[in-house]
Amino acid sequence: MKKVILIADDSPTIRKFVSVALSVKGYEIISCSDGMEAIEKLPTQKIDLIITDLNMPNIDGFELISSIRNNSAYRELPIIVLSSLGATEDLQKGLECGANSYLIKPFDPKRVVYEVSKYLN
Amino acid sequence: MQSNMEQIFKKLGDLKDFFTYGQKLAPILQKIIDFMQDTVPLLETVNKSIADSTSKMPKAAHQINNVTSATEVATTEILDIVDGVMLDLGEISSQINSFQVKFDKQQTLLVKIAEKYPRDEDVKKLIMNEFDSKYFSDDVKDLSKLVSKINDSMMNITLSLQVQDITTQQLLSVNHLIQSIQEKLSSLLVDLGEKEITAIDERFNNNLSFNPEARYEKNHSSQVLVDSLVEENRSAASQKEIDELFSKR
Repeated sequence: MKKVILIADDSPTIRKFVSVALSVKGYEIISCSDGMEAIEKLPTQKIDLIITDLNMPNIDGFELISSIRNNSAYRELPIIVLSSLGATEDLQKGLECGANSYLIKPFDPKRVVYEVSKYLN
Repeated sequence: MQSNMEQIFKKLGDLKDFFTYGQKLAPILQKIIDFMQDTVPLLETVNKSIADSTSKMPKAAHQINNVTSATEVATTEILDIVDGVMLDLGEISSQINSFQVKFDKQQTLLVKIAEKYPRDEDVKKLIMNEFDSKYFSDDVKDLSKLVSKINDSMMNITLSLQVQDITTQQLLSVNHLIQSIQEKLSSLLVDLGEKEITAIDERFNNNLSFNPEARYEKNHSSQVLVDSLVEENRSAASQKEIDELFSKR
C-alpha cells in the first residue's frame, strides 16, 4: 500500500516540484494550498507524513504544525517544513511548534526524498 | 495740550516707520508673489504627474501578476515533461533489470547445456560465439549509469526551476510595495481635490503569501546552517530528556 504524503504550500509550482520528486519514488501525494485546507483534509484519510510551507494565507505553517501537535491522534505524525524562511528564529519557532525536519527553498529534490524516506521507510 | 501733541507726533512717527518698513517689505512680497506664480504651474504639473503615475500603478501591478502567472504555467508544463521523463526512466530501469535477470537465466541454461555435452566442441563453440557475458554485463552497467545520470539531470532541472517560486515571491513583494505607494499617493491626491484613483486589484496578491527576503541559492549554504542548528537543537533536547529522566528517579 502506498504511503500518503500531504503537502501544504500556496505555491502550485512548489506542490508540483514535491510531487514530481516523491511520486516517482512511489508515494501518493495530496496537495493543499494553505493550512486551513490541510487541517480539513487531515481527518478524511490516513496521512503518513506532512510537508508544509510556513508562509501561507489563512492558516500559516506554524499554526498548522501547532494545531496538528495539539491533536493526540497526530502527535507522532512526521512533519517536514519546506520554507524560504531561513532565519534562526523561524527555525527555532518551527521546531518548537513540533516540526521534525526543516528544509530551505530552493530545495534539493534528493534531500526531500531522503528526509521522507527517513521517516517512512 | 502739549502732551496730546507729543502723542500725535509719536503716532505719526510710528506711522512713518510703518510706511518705511512697508516700502522695504514691498519688493520682498513682490518676489514671493512672483515665486508663487512660477511655482503654482509647477505644482500643478507635479500633481498631474503623480496622478498619472498613480493611475498607471494598477496596470504595472497587473502586468507583474501576468508575468508571474505565465512563468507559473510554463514551469508547470516543464515539470509535467520532467515527471513524464522520470517515469519513463523508471520504466527503462526496470526493463534493464528484467533483461539482466533473463540473461542470467540464459547463462545458467547455457552452462547446464555445456555441462551436458562436455565433449561436443560445436555446442561449446556455438555457446561461446553467441553469448559474451562480460560484454553484455558491461553494456547493462553502462546503460544503468546513463539512466542514473539522466535521472540526476532531471532532478537538477527541478532544482533550477525553483527559481520561478523565488522570483514569484520577490515579484509579490514588489507588487505589495507598489500597492502601498499607490494607496498613499491616492489618499494624497484625494486630499488635493483630485478624483479617486482606481485601486490595485488585490485578488491575486491575497491568495499568496511571500517572503521578501527569498533568495535563489543553489549552493545550499542556508540548508547547511539550518542542519547544524537542527542538530544543536536535537542535542539540547536529548540532554533535556536525559535530565528529566534522571530527575524523576
